[in-house]
This record gives sequence, structure tokens and C-alpha cells, in this order.
Amino acid sequence: MCGEPCGVKSVDIATYKNDVWGQEVIRGVSWDLLWLVIVAAFIAIAAHAIYGATQKRADKPSAGGARVNRHDAIDRAYHWVMAGSVFVLLVTGIFPIIGLEFSWLEIHWIAGIVLTVVVAFHILRSVLTQDVSSMAIGSGDLKEALDGSTKPGKYSPAQKSMHAVVTVLTLLVIGSGLLMFLQIDTPWWERSNSMAESTLGLVFLVHGLSTLGLVGVICLHVYFALRPEKLFYTRSMIKGWISKDELAANHDPQRWTPDETT
Amino acid sequence: MASFDVMPDVQLYQPVELDDALNLADELGDDGWLLGGGQDTYGWLKDRAKQPRAMIDLNGIEALHGIRETSDGIEIGAATTLREIIRDERIKRDFDLLAQAAGRVASPQIRNVGTLGGNLNQDARCWYYRRGLDCYRAGGNICYADGPDAMNREHCVFGASRCVAVSPSDTATALVALEATMVAKSVSGERIIPAEDFFVGPATHIRQMTSLKAQEILTAVRLPAKWAGKRFYFEKVADRDVWDFALVSIAVAMSMDGDMIGENRIVCGGVACTPHRLTNVERAVRGKSLSEESAAAAAPMASEGAKPLNYNHFKLPLMENLVRRAMRG
Repeated sequence: MCGEPCGVKSVDIATYKNDVWGQEVIRGVSWDLLWLVIVAAFIAIAAHAIYGATQKRADKPSAGGARVNRHDAIDRAYHWVMAGSVFVLLVTGIFPIIGLEFSWLEIHWIAGIVLTVVVAFHILRSVLTQDVSSMAIGSGDLKEALDGSTKPGKYSPAQKSMHAVVTVLTLLVIGSGLLMFLQIDTPWWERSNSMAESTLGLVFLVHGLSTLGLVGVICLHVYFALRPEKLFYTRSMIKGWISKDELAANHDPQRWTPDETT
Repeated sequence: MASFDVMPDVQLYQPVELDDALNLADELGDDGWLLGGGQDTYGWLKDRAKQPRAMIDLNGIEALHGIRETSDGIEIGAATTLREIIRDERIKRDFDLLAQAAGRVASPQIRNVGTLGGNLNQDARCWYYRRGLDCYRAGGNICYADGPDAMNREHCVFGASRCVAVSPSDTATALVALEATMVAKSVSGERIIPAEDFFVGPATHIRQMTSLKAQEILTAVRLPAKWAGKRFYFEKVADRDVWDFALVSIAVAMSMDGDMIGENRIVCGGVACTPHRLTNVERAVRGKSLSEESAAAAAPMASEGAKPLNYNHFKLPLMENLVRRAMRG
């Protein structure tokens, strides 16, 4: 008789090992979860795509005519540098685990440093020179999300939520990654191997879980970036602008008044 | 770690045809364990540090035994014992470097049963790893041999990447020096792998020491005629004269143009996770004569770029002195 529902295999969140004293400690995340995350993300994507296909399509606003600025060049550069570094981090971190072995460690930590620097830059720039509240999630966002007639300011509740989740996961992956960085030899220091194994296991677990979270979130992010009705946002992340028609169709000009651009 | 008096319960396959062994290796994959002379295998199994489901004993396969002449040198079956290699007249005459290296493996008893394939494919001798600790090489997240109090006298000074274990094979250094090629077969075909690429470091393959895949069997080693009868030098420094692994070893193959050194290959064992070629020394000695002067000039280059651990700085002068001894003629 099965201990679990027959035919269902449970997936552990963490893996365990015995430390040098014989005590059981966490070793890290269970990478079986990777497939669960990928399958879950694709089910969510498929469900949304089917739902989207059943909905009546609104007229697509024109991309021609007058334009307004949505993303400054420096913010676009930040976004793509971050995207590139995260892509490299995921490839170098996950491919060896799933059996595609190559010399990955140096590429991984260099990409990690790039990510850390650009995220630190983004935080400073956001706090010092930008309107942080435009990305803050408030009680009105829930109402806005449920009420289809209300248009958002610069960012929709979905975009704010995505940003909040990515923020938390990225900070977790960077924080744990920096602690792991101390455990390897680099041009600046030699590893000390002085962290307790139980602590090291927790660091690996946090790094692994936040990585898995990012895998899922990035799958969704790329999907939405490629949705026909959202493609103008992707274009704006490349070229910087959206048309006034797109602004009027998707945003409340009273809540977001961008500068005109050419 | 628990101690056991008996071997674990493991299935034993004893194929007599190579095709049957290849099919078994393909079927068992990571659950299978290739058995040569067993001198590495039985320790792992007895300690339960490795727990394969089944062993494939290769010793009954005739095609894996023997030393054959080919159109371009010699081919040695992977299940050929080290004793057979040491005593083979053709190898002693043309590739004495290998005979010398094989003659320094372990002890006479072990050489009687130990095979060339087994010696090349043996796993790392780091005692933290072999003790069954969950280190990087065992799939964990730490190297026990590279800490403030770690015992790392025997570990590497080159090529560390998380793991600091060294390649323990004496014959590996000789085969890299001789530009040997490895014949790896599987049900899907054959791969010919240069010896230098056969051994892999932890930067790419932290859980294995060779590029052999789970479904592959090393069937033979080929020695090219290019190096037949050239000048060779092999020396191994270990704590004991018998039954010990190299602290540092050196294998040198060089073609002489009169008194001058021509093309040459100098390989150190015991200093890196793979046999370590001293390419800077090779370049420096080319065109020079074997003499005390050229030996003294080349020796310091041997340890360039080394990153010793807490307790193995002694390997640097040891390497340099071995180069000096190999070059002074």
C-alpha cells in the first residue's frame, strides 16, 4: 500500500547530508523542484493564453503619431544588463546541475558581480532621482486589478506585483550569492571554508529557492513581454517610447503624465 | 563512518563479450560499476561510500586483454594488468616510460591484478572524500580538504576549482607524455580521446576524474610510434617506496637532435586534478642541451603559477628538483 497517493511522487524542498560531525544538516535545495517550477509556469502560461484567446480583443491602439517617453535610456540599459546577467547566471548555475557540464564557476560569479552592481545602481537611482511610489503597491491596486474600467498610472498592478516579486527574489539571490562568493577562491581573496556547514546549507537553500522562483517568474515575464497586446511595453523597453494612442488606451493620463518625445 | 566486515549486496555481471558489457553499461548507466582489478573498487564498496546496484566485471573479456602492435605503435587492452605491461618486451624497448610508471604503482601484489584501465580510471584519493563525507566531489557544498585546519599535504597546487584532490594515477602522467589516445566504446559507437583530454578537472567535471561517460567503457590505450624509443625520464616521490601514491611525479618524453632537446613533453603527477603538463618548461628547454645549466634555468619554471594549500608548499621545490633531475642528463 502506498504511503502517498499511489502514482504520486513527493518532491522534497531541501536535500540533507551529514556534516563532518555526523549531524544531519541542510545541503541545499532539491533540484527536482526545477522541473516542477517549469511545468507549473508553463501550465500557468497555457491557461492564460487559453483565457486570453476566449476574450474579446480590444482594438489595438496605433503605434504611430505622437510619442511619449516611458523609459529613459539609462533605465533601459539597466534592464537589459540585468536581464543579460540573470540569463548568464541561470545558464551557468543550472546547466551543470542538469548534466550540461562546462567550466561555469568564474562566468557565474562575474555575472553575479555585474548583477549586484546594476541592482545597487538601480536602487540608488530609484531612491534618489525617481518616483519610487509609482512602483509601490497600495490598496488601490487591488481594486484597480479587479475593476477593468480603471486605468493605471505608469505601472499596472500586475507590473507592480511582478516588480515586487522580482525585487524580493533578486535581493535574496544576491545576498545568498555574496555569502557563497566568500566560499570560493577569487582574485581578491582565498576561501576560508570557515562557515558552519548548517549555515552554508541554509545559504545554498535560499540561493536555490530564489533561483527557482526567478526561473518561474522569468518564464511568466517573457511570456507577457511577447503577448501581442503587451508588445508595445517591450518595444518601449528597447526604444523608450509609447505612442499617445497606446498611452490613452492603457493608462490614465491624470495619474501618469509623461513627457513627449520624438 | 561505520565499518563493515563484508561486501554489500551487489549484482555481479561477468560478460565474456565486449558487446554484452557495452549493453550492460548502457542499461545500468550510473547504477553500474565497471570492475577491472578491483583495487579501487572494493574499498569504495566495503566502506559503503559508493553503492552501485551492479558491477560489470570486465576481466573475462578477451578483447580487453593484451598488447598488440598496430600500424602506428602499440595498443594495450584496458584490462591488461600492470604486471603484463611492465614485463612486455616491446613496451620496455619502445615505451619504457610507461613500463617505469607502471612499475611504481602500489605494490607487486596490486600490480599483479591491477589493470591499466583501472589505474587510469581510479577515483580521487582525498581522504575526506573517500571517508564518505559529503564534499563538492560527492555532490555536497564544501571542500573539507581546503580549510584552516584541513589536512591537505597530498592535495593539489594547480587547477583547483572548489575540489583540491589530485589525479592519483601514475600511468596517467606517462600516457599524457607519450601522447597516448584512449579508445572509449559504447553501444552508440567509439570515441578516440587524447590522453590530455581524457583526464578532466573539477572546473568542468567535479564528480568524475575522466571524460568517460556512464555508458562508456575504456577498451584500449594506443601509444603512437612517434615517441617510440625516444629519451624518457620517470621519477616518483612518495612517502614510501611501495604501496603509496605520488606526492609528486614526473614523466618526460623528449626527442633528441644530437645533444639538443627537440620536441618534448613534461608532465607532473600529484600536483593537479589532472596530469599537469609543464608547457612553459617544455618551451624553455627546446633547443637546449641536457646539462646542469639548462636544468638550473628550467627548474624554477616548473612551479610558476602554483597555488599551494596550507600544508603542501613542499611540492613546489619538489617539482623544481624533479625537473632539474630530468634535465641534467
